[in-house]
Amino acid sequence: MRQASLLFLVRRLVQVVPVVLAIAAVNFFLLRMAPGDVADILAGQMGHATLEFTQQLRREFGLDQPVYMQFFYYIGKLLTLDLGRSHLQQAPVIDLILDRLPATVILMLTSILIAIAVGIVLGVAAARREGRLADTLVSVTALVVYATPAFWLGLMLIVLFSIQLDLLPSGGMYQIGAGRTGLAHALDVAKHLVLPSVTLGLFYVAIYTRLMRASMLEVYGLEFITTARAKGLSETTIAWTHALRNALLPVVTLAGVQFGHLLGGSILVETVFAWPGLGRLVFDALLQRDLNLLLGILFVSSVVVVFANLAVDLIYGLLDPRIVHK
Amino acid sequence: MKASTIFTMAAAALIAAAPLAGAGAQAPKKGGTLTYTYQPEPTAISTLATTAVPVALISTKIYDGLLEYAGPGLDPKPGLAESWTVSPDNLSYSFKLRQGVKWHDGKPLTSADVKFSIETLALNYHSRGKTYFGNVTAIETPDDRSVVVKLKAPVPYFLKAFQPSETPIMPKHAFSEQEIAEKKVRQAKVMQEPVGTGPFKMKEWKKGSHIILERNADYWKPGLPYLDQVVLRVLPDGAARAIAVEKGEVDLAPMTALPPAEIQRLGKLPSLVSSQAGSEGLGPIMWLETNLREKPLADLAVRQAISLAIDRDKLVDVIWYGMGKPARGPIVSGNPNHFNAALPKLEYNPAKANKLLDDAGYKRGPDGVRFKLPQNFLPYGEEWVRQAEYIKQELGKIGIQADIESLDMGGWLKKVFTDWTYQITSDFHHNYVDPTIGVQRAFLSTNIQKGATFNNSMGYVNPKLDELLQKAAATPDGPERKKLWDDAQKIMQDDLPVIYLIEIGYTHIWNKRVKGLITNGISMYSNWDSVWLE
Repeated sequence: MRQASLLFLVRRLVQVVPVVLAIAAVNFFLLRMAPGDVADILAGQMGHATLEFTQQLRREFGLDQPVYMQFFYYIGKLLTLDLGRSHLQQAPVIDLILDRLPATVILMLTSILIAIAVGIVLGVAAARREGRLADTLVSVTALVVYATPAFWLGLMLIVLFSIQLDLLPSGGMYQIGAGRTGLAHALDVAKHLVLPSVTLGLFYVAIYTRLMRASMLEVYGLEFITTARAKGLSETTIAWTHALRNALLPVVTLAGVQFGHLLGGSILVETVFAWPGLGRLVFDALLQRDLNLLLGILFVSSVVVVFANLAVDLIYGLLDPRIVHK
Repeated sequence: MKASTIFTMAAAALIAAAPLAGAGAQAPKKGGTLTYTYQPEPTAISTLATTAVPVALISTKIYDGLLEYAGPGLDPKPGLAESWTVSPDNLSYSFKLRQGVKWHDGKPLTSADVKFSIETLALNYHSRGKTYFGNVTAIETPDDRSVVVKLKAPVPYFLKAFQPSETPIMPKHAFSEQEIAEKKVRQAKVMQEPVGTGPFKMKEWKKGSHIILERNADYWKPGLPYLDQVVLRVLPDGAARAIAVEKGEVDLAPMTALPPAEIQRLGKLPSLVSSQAGSEGLGPIMWLETNLREKPLADLAVRQAISLAIDRDKLVDVIWYGMGKPARGPIVSGNPNHFNAALPKLEYNPAKANKLLDDAGYKRGPDGVRFKLPQNFLPYGEEWVRQAEYIKQELGKIGIQADIESLDMGGWLKKVFTDWTYQITSDFHHNYVDPTIGVQRAFLSTNIQKGATFNNSMGYVNPKLDELLQKAAATPDGPERKKLWDDAQKIMQDDLPVIYLIEIGYTHIWNKRVKGLITNGISMYSNWDSVWLE
């Protein structure tokens, strides 16, 4: 069994390379289909640029070369794990990504962990009381939260907790220029993290609650639950020990997909709370046609998606030993 | 309309009061941190990398220009150059540099830095470098403190070229031979980690979050700057920016950094000041660009009808929350030296517009439509969309169906300036301090050039106007040049190669505790060395 899993892992890892390269190639050509390039944008920002000026920019960025040459150059560099330089920010793409990565990971991990924990508890609780008031309350609330735009929710939380009650900061990741280090810095970040992670987390809580509830109800209909009840086990034991483990599979799948999105961050929540994460970097890069930066972020996030999927497959085997990797 | 009048009066009053502020009851206080916000975040800290507003805002606190400027018309006064002389034929400018000016890294400023900043940097990398320095034949540096610039023909606005945003003086020693030889100046480290001579120096840049500038203790003006720190907070969401200003977390939102609706709301709060003063040297103006290459826009009657169909007062009041005033031509009325005050106001008269189109033979179809005129808009935000919708509505009333096509910046630039496939689109220009810099490029026929931005995209040719513009570009400022520009403005109003919309005022909002902000026509692009906090 263990050897089979190892073989599976190695085979999947080998498959990753062509998949990731194919994604990079598709990204490259897709992004080039958008009208205008970074030289246009830069010349536009400068207001009064001459044709020579714009052409000089294109030469500087290598955009005067034929597209296929640009492509080979890009893939060649990618194979040596060089993501190139951002045209606009004039810095190595990898530095820009690594600079923003911690903020995004902290925000997304906190939100998803809140969401998974709360979502599972609420989902199981609702499923156990199917059709009763508690179930209706949980389901309706989840639906309402799911349908609420994150930026609006975020702004309302700012108005309440930051302006009216003056309890929490309205934005940013830490107090600028305070020069805190160590534990004081961590606490400062935690304080700034509350509103954005709750805003983002609530959205995910809604998803996980609904998914967990549906999945639990499905498992409750299976024969082994009837057997458990026939054995005289308590409903609590049945729910948390027998049903939950089986009902978790779709939740794990969703979590895997969302971990893949982790790198993309959440543009809306990062924008409302001025959280210096990757989501905004993607957005700005897209509007400014900063192709190298955009390709770099897409490349890194596609690698993460591929690995998250792999991890999900391996976790399946742990949750349900009947699933064997061949 | 009323609001804009009040703003203008307030602007004039503030400018007039500016020199008195220091001599008044309150003596400036030292210390404190001024926090401002502007979106987007700068991509570099030098206008040689890009002259985008966020870059100009921050880099001008770090880099000095050769000169400083006073008043809305930007009258030159000593800066890094403590004095200067101009030869009688206006072909030679001699500058004497101040003694003892040091770069932020401790090295001395020399005439070689100035020569390098003009000859190697501004001329090649600044988008207006050729406009300012295209006539330069030689720059001599007889000693460490003397710079002599020789011109082949007079440039009437030459002394205006030395603003910190237009020609920042940068340290020669911060660029490698290779970066200069390979034209990779934009990639130099100094573009991200600036070394200037200005009142503030870079302390910290956390991308996506903030930039902290700290007081330059070795600044060449004794006792200045007053502030200890200038902080830029990156707040991408408009509502969040407004909240930060309202809460006092941010002291200043310059150059319409807040959504117009929020500006209107916050402007009424007693703790805040809202003003349109201090941007006269930029002269922002908005118009509808028209593609004159084909019918029906090639027909003057059609352009006149479009102009008559738009109620500019309503545009200012409703769409732009009173931030601006109706335009009369390509030059803003706040330009003290070049605006032709005799230009008549542009009329709003839909009935006349309808008659013009009837007479020109554009009959209405059974659906009431005479012809379709696809419309684009400059993708600068929500108000630009609203404005396009308003224009569509008004043109609909005279039988022109102006459906809106939405593009992002890259797409819009390509369509308007490279492909020339648009019909009408809103556009936005800066006059800058002299119309030869900011106005002529959109109307001179030699600026019909595919792929260049914000030029004559219309394909407008008028040899008489070309002659006037070229003559004005080589005539020293004075009555003769004023007459040339007056005549040119008359032609540009009669020909309507663009439909002039409004002089869109930049609105700055700041906390009352901030003092001494408005100093000249480029107040936000000035170095803030005399700004202080109560």
